[in-house]
Amino acid sequence: MGLPPSPPPGPAGLLDRCAAARVTGALRGPHGCVYLLDGAVTWVEGAAAPGIEVRLSAAGRVPPQGWRYAVETAGPQRQGGRFLVSEGWLTQGELEICHLAALLDAAFFALPLPPETTSFTPGTGHWLGVVRPISAGDLQRATARRRALLDRLRPWAAVDTQPVVPAGPGAPAGTTPRQRRLLAHADGRHTPCELARALGQSAFVTLLDIRRLAAAGLVRMPPGGLPRRRPGATPAGHPPPGAGRGRTPTWQPPVPELLDTRDPDVALLVRLRTALEENL
Amino acid sequence: MPGIDQVLAQAMGIPGVLGAGLIDWTSGLTLGTAGQAPNGDHEAAAADTAEVVQAVARNATFDTTGAAAPALEDLIITAAGSYHLIRFVHTAFDSQTYLYLWLDRAQANLAVARIRLRDLAAGLVAS
Repeated sequence: MGLPPSPPPGPAGLLDRCAAARVTGALRGPHGCVYLLDGAVTWVEGAAAPGIEVRLSAAGRVPPQGWRYAVETAGPQRQGGRFLVSEGWLTQGELEICHLAALLDAAFFALPLPPETTSFTPGTGHWLGVVRPISAGDLQRATARRRALLDRLRPWAAVDTQPVVPAGPGAPAGTTPRQRRLLAHADGRHTPCELARALGQSAFVTLLDIRRLAAAGLVRMPPGGLPRRRPGATPAGHPPPGAGRGRTPTWQPPVPELLDTRDPDVALLVRLRTALEENL
Repeated sequence: MPGIDQVLAQAMGIPGVLGAGLIDWTSGLTLGTAGQAPNGDHEAAAADTAEVVQAVARNATFDTTGAAAPALEDLIITAAGSYHLIRFVHTAFDSQTYLYLWLDRAQANLAVARIRLRDLAAGLVAS
C-alpha cells in the first residue's frame, strides 16, 4: 500500500515538447513565429502585436534608417540588439525591457501553437540576436495570466475586432492617461490592434483598455454585440430574482444613449428586454 | 551601461534588502530576480505584486494631474517584519514594468531604499 499514483501530466503542447527537447530554430504558426535557442524562447513575432521596431520608432528612439543599418549590420552573427545599444540609441536595460515587452505581446496572440499548422525551421534565429531568453514554461504561464485578465471582461469581447467608436466627445473623468490617448485616436475606422500599431503600444493592453472603456459605456458596442444576461446569473452581491421584490434594476446598457434615444420604439424595446432579462 | 542583472545586483546593495526583481505587471512575468523571495518563491511574489500594481494602475483615482505622462511612482506595503517596495519603471517606449524590493524591516531605512530604488529605475533607462 502506498500513496495513489499522481495523475498523469496533461498533454504537453508543441512548445513544451520543443523546450524539453532543447531544440534550436523557429516555430512558425498561424498567428506568429517563436524562435528557440536550446529550448528557451529568444523571440516571438506576429502580425497582431507591434514589434520592437514599431515600439522604438513610435518613441523616436531609433531613426527610420537605423533599422536598415541594424538589420544589415546584424548579419549572419545576428547581433542586431547589440548594435542598437552600441549606436547609443538604447541602454542595455531599455533593450532588454523593450525586447521582453514585445516578445510577451506577440506571444499572447501566437500561443498556443497548433501542431497541425505549425512548421519548424531548424537552426534559424532572428536578426536581433539573443537578448534575454525566457523559459517556455514561464512564457506560457505569463500568457495564461494575461488571458485570465482579459476573460474577466468577456461580455465586451465584441469590441476586440471592430473599429473603435467613442460613445461621446471629449475625455471623460475617471479614465487613465492611456485610455484618454486611445479615445483621442479612435476615429471609428481603426480596430484596437490597428490603434496599438499606430501608437506603438502593447496590443494586449490596448484590447484590455478598449474592453474596459466599453464596459464603462465610453466605447460603443458593435451592433448585435450587447452583452446578454445568462439565465440564472445575478450581479455579484445581489440576491437572485424574486428574493427582493421591488428592487431597482441594476442592468446597465453599455451604450447609455440607447435609453435616451428619440426613437420611442427602440427605447421601449431596450426597456422591455432589460425587464425580461431581469426576470429570467 | 547597466542591464537588468546589473541593476538588480546594485539593488541587493541597498541596506536591509532581502530580494529584488524586475516584473511585467500585465502578466506577472519576471524579467530578472536577485536574492531571496517571500516564501522562497520569486514567481509567486511576481504574480502577487503584479495583481497589486494592476489594481492601482487601472484606476484613475491615483492619477489626478490629468497629464499625459504616467503619474504613478511607487507603492509601499508595510508588513510585520518587512517592507515591500514597488517602483514603476517609466520608459520612452511602451512597457509595463516595475522594480520590486523585499526589505527586512529591522535593517532597512524606507526613505533611503525609496531614493536608491528611484535612482536605479532611472539608471535602467537613462541614455
